[in-house]
Amino acid sequence: MPRSRRSRRTLTVIILIVLSLSLISLDQNTRTHSLTSGVKSVANDVYAPLRQGVLDVISPIGNFFAGAFNYGSVQAQNERLERTIGQLRAAQLEQGFEQNQLREITALQNLPFLQSLPTVTAQTQDEYSSNFTATITLDKGRADGVDVGYPVVGAGGLVGKVIQSFHHTSIVQLITDGQSKVDVTFGNGNQFLGIVDGQGPSSSMTADLVPPHTPLHKGDRMYTSGLNAASFPPGIPVATVRTFHTSAGASQETIEVDPAANLSQLAYVDVVQWVPST
Amino acid sequence: MLRVALVIFIVLMVQQTVIVALRIGGVHPDLLWLLPITAALLDGPETGAIVGFWAGLTFDLVLPTPFGLSALVGCVLGYAVGSLTKAADPRATWLKPVAALAGSLAADMLFAVLGAILGQSQMVQIDFLALFLVVGISSVVLVLPVSRLMRWALAGEGHRRSLVSAQAESGIW
Repeated sequence: MPRSRRSRRTLTVIILIVLSLSLISLDQNTRTHSLTSGVKSVANDVYAPLRQGVLDVISPIGNFFAGAFNYGSVQAQNERLERTIGQLRAAQLEQGFEQNQLREITALQNLPFLQSLPTVTAQTQDEYSSNFTATITLDKGRADGVDVGYPVVGAGGLVGKVIQSFHHTSIVQLITDGQSKVDVTFGNGNQFLGIVDGQGPSSSMTADLVPPHTPLHKGDRMYTSGLNAASFPPGIPVATVRTFHTSAGASQETIEVDPAANLSQLAYVDVVQWVPST
Repeated sequence: MLRVALVIFIVLMVQQTVIVALRIGGVHPDLLWLLPITAALLDGPETGAIVGFWAGLTFDLVLPTPFGLSALVGCVLGYAVGSLTKAADPRATWLKPVAALAGSLAADMLFAVLGAILGQSQMVQIDFLALFLVVGISSVVLVLPVSRLMRWALAGEGHRRSLVSAQAESGIW
């Protein structure tokens, strides 16, 4: 190979690597992050409708085959859902009185209660677009009142929080993501505190910083604490205890928890328009 | 350039609409790395690096991972595959599957490590065994159609396919 061609090749690769590193630096720097975020925002505004168009074309084909192969299980699921709806209607009637009482108490104590906070209902466009993050993409963005840091809740409890918000779409980091940390409270009278840590999309979540021999029961609920300028309003169900034990000499209890929200059914979620008090 | 851009766009759409739904053990196949791998096999390290950079940058626009990271890994991957396979016989049937397998796994590893260095520690907290199995096997299978697309794209750019002999070009892929 001629020397000049080899030199040109090396130069091209060096330029591309330097360019990539420059883009990464721009993205990581808090002062210039808005630049890359703006580019991504524009790109997402163009890309989202195109992707939806492709999905609209291929979805009926996929649904046809899925329906043909899974008719029995869909019917059984439908019956289960109807039964659940009936139970929820009954529970809703019973809870009406208690919710009114709770709303009055929280109002008196000047605490935000989730049901009194404004929410934006969004549809999930995309789940786990990368193998390295546990995220979902919503069809609502800044123009719809969805901003970075807003909590996202789904059926059963906390789903995650908005980490990127574009014009008409946003990305939500799920509580199972390795970067997710949620301050929680649990136990009778919510006297215990801890942090629910995501361990990645395919691993169990853990509850950390819980003192050894803290009394726990399988199925105990953990709620957002709302303490220490927390990222979430208090009282949202986060997780339920699956296993727990204290190893000899350990400084904290080892607790594995499951998400309270059903993270496998995230077709629609609510974005809570709530910002932490500073 | 237009054909290459079109192929990158098609692969992005297929990845984000069809492939992401094919999750096994929480992991889905990854078509991105096959673009620089096939470009490098067909036209050498420089083309591999260029295609890897632009493909990575396009994917970076829609992925939640740090912006520019896929472009960097795609560029390095394209250059490495092109350089390492320079001496190999381009007609060898094992070349594409082996390059796809080794290249995809190395790219995923590099992507995760660089992501962790950039503060995204969750990127090394994933189940690497599942990732390697799903991405490795799917890359071996999917390298053939992606290679065909890339061949069409590079032919349109008037590239001299130095690593592909006329005999190989007349084959199915």
